[in-house]
Amino acid sequence: MQAWRIREPVMWLCEEITGNRKTYGMNLIGGVRRDIRAEQYPKILEVIGKIEGQLKEVIDAIAGDTTLHLRLKNVGVLPPEAARRLCVVGPTARGSGVTIDSRVNHPYAAYAQVSPKVITQPEGDVWARTLVRLGETLESIRLVRQSLEQMPAGDLMAEVKEIPPWREGIAYVEAPRGESIHYVLTGTDNRPYRWRVRAPSYTNLQAVPTMFQGNSIADAPIILGSIDPCFSCTERMEAVDVKTKKVRVYSQEELRQMSRKRR
Amino acid sequence: MLVSKLKEAIICLKNLRVTLPYPFQPAPPAEGFRGRLELDISKCIGCGACLNACPPRLIRMTDQDSRRTIEFALGRCTYCARCAEVCPEKAIRMTKEFELSTEDKRDLNITAELLMAKCGQCRTAYTTQRIVDRLMNQVAKEIGVEAAAQDWMKLCPACRKVHEAQNIGEARI
Repeated sequence: MQAWRIREPVMWLCEEITGNRKTYGMNLIGGVRRDIRAEQYPKILEVIGKIEGQLKEVIDAIAGDTTLHLRLKNVGVLPPEAARRLCVVGPTARGSGVTIDSRVNHPYAAYAQVSPKVITQPEGDVWARTLVRLGETLESIRLVRQSLEQMPAGDLMAEVKEIPPWREGIAYVEAPRGESIHYVLTGTDNRPYRWRVRAPSYTNLQAVPTMFQGNSIADAPIILGSIDPCFSCTERMEAVDVKTKKVRVYSQEELRQMSRKRR
Repeated sequence: MLVSKLKEAIICLKNLRVTLPYPFQPAPPAEGFRGRLELDISKCIGCGACLNACPPRLIRMTDQDSRRTIEFALGRCTYCARCAEVCPEKAIRMTKEFELSTEDKRDLNITAELLMAKCGQCRTAYTTQRIVDRLMNQVAKEIGVEAAAQDWMKLCPACRKVHEAQNIGEARI
């Protein structure tokens, strides 16, 4: 609950900078739509300074909390080999000691200029993933400070008039849950014809059966919560038979029936 | 163990209740917030620039009986404000209104009707009267009043083509 309290000023800040709490609508082809105004710089620094202090207080308090340790340590363990084999991404991989982060491995945007640190924990349990996320929050605060210091002046947008149709594009970003990949095929009238997203939850959810093994049902919600899955990104399933090349899409009801059946 | 619990208790006691008294007291959004869009019908010329910019394609334009109808199905709005950005007449504005829950999403719809201009020759309605007026004003200001007073200025693009072809033909003879 305290984490939600600490987060709220960030949401207000986002609303002030972008015009909305969540659906920022900042990116357009060619650039971004709004600049950070001069009077917003000190405000951003003040807010992130405040949350940094409050977050450190919480980290310091929970670090030695044995009740939390009993509940989270050795629960939902994903060993490093399994993490590699299942290709998990983001904090789920880093909590199992796998040092991957697309901001570092393939720097995009301005990440080469701010040098992000990769936070890892070797244990692979729910506690390790929690520590990784907490550490990454502090690291993000550092990155915001560094970016504000180095922010160059100049145009926000390059003018793009016509987008050529039938061209493909692919991009990846390190989202809070891990590497997110977007593919687009352009169509006519400056609109996309096809768009495919591989959200990080998709890869991370593949590791859930491994994490569940040997744990009680009461542990299931926190194990699932520890990978912070986005179900709206992953509520459908398509099975491809490699030999016959047959594709089958499973509906929500079919998936529900399958999950209720005993193996 | 005890130290941790004490530290946690101190954090909780220090902050007590942080929940805002909303909705009993208003919670105004920040400056520059994009809420429900507002259409100033007195400014709209019916050009359809918003229609092309809208990502969820919620704006519809239909021509019937010398009237152009512009409909905004705002139940699908993502509040990106692209329409407001591209509007040449600044007829669209994002308000700060965000309390939009309703039992019927049609409550959010906006419908505007604009009168269309008829071609001086074939009498078909080809664009809105406001676009024609705007064009006339611009021509009168930038080229001259005589140019704006020409008869063919009141023709639709198809009739104008015929008119132009006839002119060229006569000039040859």
